[in-house]
Amino acid sequence: MAASVHSTAHGLIRPEPWLRAGGLLAIWLLLLILIVYPLLMLLSRAFFDDGQLSLQALLAAVTAAKNLRALGNSLLLAMMVGVAGTLVGLLFAFTVERVSGARRFSRLIDFFTFLPLISPPFTTSIAFVFSFGPRGLITYDLLGIKGVQVYGLTSTFAAETLTYFPIAYLALRPMLASISTGFEEAAFSLGGSRWHAFRTVTLPLVIPALANAFLLLFGCSLADFATPLILAGSDFSVLPTEAYLQITGMFDLKSGAILSLLLLVPAGLVFFAQERLVAGRSYVTVTGKAAVSAQHDSVSTAAGLALLGFCILMSALILYFYLLLFYASIVLAFGANHTLTLEHYRVIFSEGLPAIKDTLIIALVGMPLGGLYGIVVGYLVGRTTFMGRKAMELVSMLNYALPGTIVGIAYLLAFNDKPLALTGTATILIACYVFRYSPIGIRTTIALLQQIDRSMEEASQSLGASHLVTFRRVMLPLILPAFFAGLGVVFIRSMTAISATIFLVSINWTLITVKILENMTEVALGPAAAFSVFVIVVVVFVTSMLNVLLKRLTAPSLRVGRIGA
Amino acid sequence: MATASIEIRLAAISATFHHERRGDITAVRNLDLVVKPAEFLTLLGSSGCGKTTTLRMIAGFQKPSSGRIWFGGEDVTELAANQRDIGFVFQNYALFPHLSVFENVAYGLRVKRQDATLIESSVEAGLRQVGLQGMADRMINELSGGQQQRVALARAIAIKPRVLLFDEPLSNLDAQLRVLMRSEIVRLQKELAITTIYVTHDQEEAMAISDRIAIMDEGLIAQIGTAEELYQRPASRFVAGFLGSANLLRGTVIATGAGKTAIDILGHRWELSGDSPVTAGRQVDAVVRPEALTLAKQGSGLSGVVQRRTYFGDKAEYIVRVGEVAIQAIQWNPSLEDEFGAGQQVSLRLPSSNVQLLPA
Repeated sequence: MAASVHSTAHGLIRPEPWLRAGGLLAIWLLLLILIVYPLLMLLSRAFFDDGQLSLQALLAAVTAAKNLRALGNSLLLAMMVGVAGTLVGLLFAFTVERVSGARRFSRLIDFFTFLPLISPPFTTSIAFVFSFGPRGLITYDLLGIKGVQVYGLTSTFAAETLTYFPIAYLALRPMLASISTGFEEAAFSLGGSRWHAFRTVTLPLVIPALANAFLLLFGCSLADFATPLILAGSDFSVLPTEAYLQITGMFDLKSGAILSLLLLVPAGLVFFAQERLVAGRSYVTVTGKAAVSAQHDSVSTAAGLALLGFCILMSALILYFYLLLFYASIVLAFGANHTLTLEHYRVIFSEGLPAIKDTLIIALVGMPLGGLYGIVVGYLVGRTTFMGRKAMELVSMLNYALPGTIVGIAYLLAFNDKPLALTGTATILIACYVFRYSPIGIRTTIALLQQIDRSMEEASQSLGASHLVTFRRVMLPLILPAFFAGLGVVFIRSMTAISATIFLVSINWTLITVKILENMTEVALGPAAAFSVFVIVVVVFVTSMLNVLLKRLTAPSLRVGRIGA
Repeated sequence: MATASIEIRLAAISATFHHERRGDITAVRNLDLVVKPAEFLTLLGSSGCGKTTTLRMIAGFQKPSSGRIWFGGEDVTELAANQRDIGFVFQNYALFPHLSVFENVAYGLRVKRQDATLIESSVEAGLRQVGLQGMADRMINELSGGQQQRVALARAIAIKPRVLLFDEPLSNLDAQLRVLMRSEIVRLQKELAITTIYVTHDQEEAMAISDRIAIMDEGLIAQIGTAEELYQRPASRFVAGFLGSANLLRGTVIATGAGKTAIDILGHRWELSGDSPVTAGRQVDAVVRPEALTLAKQGSGLSGVVQRRTYFGDKAEYIVRVGEVAIQAIQWNPSLEDEFGAGQQVSLRLPSSNVQLLPA
């Protein structure tokens, strides 16, 4: 019955070569225009004057006391945030994975650590001002301190730590889960105390992960633009804000470019340290079941309670900040007149409406483009072989690895003039977000593909499916989670990120985050709070929808964690 | 089945790969093979012998660098895997994790755009055939390894292929399950009468499952035949040593002819039935299976000394030293009376028939 279909002879058909060649060419063209070209423009602006190599401006910038101070401040802040954030992240991860009873709170803890990750960058800063500012709820109303100074290193450090520690938590928790508690039990059974077991067994095993988390946070803080812009004040200048002020305040593109390049040195070092760390270490992943059996006495009851208490306190602090933000958005003038009102929401939905519309258009257009770009590049790099495959992977990661300030200034220099005068258009804003944040989709795709054995494709073929049918029915569903991860990240960042795009907005196209910044400088705190609440609500809504969709579309065995995490 | 079973024929098939550092590697060299209609043939060999490459070329996953492949009267060499109408069972099952058991089995039928009610009845029948009725709605990750392999089997036979191909399908299962599954595979294959090629490195599995076995070595078929033929009449020292264990005893032919041969072996005259492949005065290797040797306290056999004895319950294994040669002997169902300890003088009685003589 089956033998009749075989009259036509076909050669072994590979996926249409012209289609692949065309795709590769198109991607290389995009990478060259939107990643390589801007960076070359940035470098040439910093190093050349009228076509002549000139290091004078560079040397002057490097030796200027003001700039050196900014660099020093940036490094100091990043170091402090790296250490403190990693420590808080570790305490959270350890509590959830090792303290008996804490697992019950893990969903709650996950939620509170998720909030800062999806919020606009100013959220914590604004809440800090509301809480500890001159008319702050705690400093003024509660403690009655007058003329308090909230701006400076301490608040910037505290706000950034609170914003970024969830990244350390997310990096450390699976690590702790993968370390079998059997090791601790073994040490414990050999007569060591619990503290001794933690110090000599668990800690050494998580040291690579700790270093990795530290570097992640160091990089985040180094590149953070929004928090210091609001909280650092004039006495504590850091590089990203200094570069921004050079360009927007002094219209000095060259100095801005040079300052952003100063940032590149430590950022590059961090990037390579991280690559080495990940490549050089074989992470201990012991048994797959470890996470389930983690309910035991890794810590004494008292220590467990203390850890749990700390986590609850931190979560409460986060909750307090967000409630404060919400409260500030529904009172007439926070700190002065606490009459309930929807006035701020009326403002953002009337005067602020263009920004909301622009942001939503940019995020919604960029989202599918970014998701698609992520899986296409991920598939090409992860599953096919072609000349320059490694180079493509590296170049595609560049804009993601570089601090936003560098990317923004590079785009400004590249696209301000002909032949590609795109600054201020929606195109360039979308391109910036897509090429800066899709690498997460690329990496997820590659990681997923590594788990999919080639025999899966062969099985489909042996059952009569063509290459195209195999891709559609087997490969596509299997890499769907990566597509959704790409969608989620690009959407969240399009709604919240500002460090790069602040250089690219115009009268025609602007962003909610830029409006928030304007409101903050005009001390229009109500609308700023209302905008922030709006962004958080939209992001939570869209990522929840994506998660629901993902759950419906994929098998439980294939989930790669929550979108946005 | 309605379709007549077909013959598979490989004519001078070769597979050459290019390796970055080691240059060209030939995995399969000029291999000829005919698998009869409805036959169960096993390619047996150690890793790197070319058995999997051969199977993958038959499936169409890999193109031979030369030679032709025929399914019945049709030359399929240029056909892609999806046009060959094969059922392939993979070592790692290769089930689609995003699909249910039902959808996995139905996959090939959906690709062929069969009618929905037909698909439903075919899948039900397929699952019943492999003993998985009632499991249709499960997801793959909810199944045990054995169940997963049954789904893979059901998926392969659901499309009613002309040819069934197995690539070490049982190597990920535990020993007990392996024995169970192999008898089920044989039962199904006989029921469906599909020409089948099975790849394994496990000789016991090969002997239990196959109509014929092809032993492969370095990209060639060393010998092909039934399990009995290969065990009793190995054509080479390699085959003799690969299938079961064998003592290769070197001796000189004293006389041969008329179905009788006399050999001088370790200074002992040994008479046995059968003709020698070489003339009198030349050397031969006699393939003597350990269980064909009998130990006695004294007698007319080879005299030697027990070097080591290992007791297994159902058998006792001896290493007996005769002069410079160590000979392995097995006593089945050993009784306590005829036990021999290390260092004891024994007489090894050689069998007088069923001995394969190979030119030395």
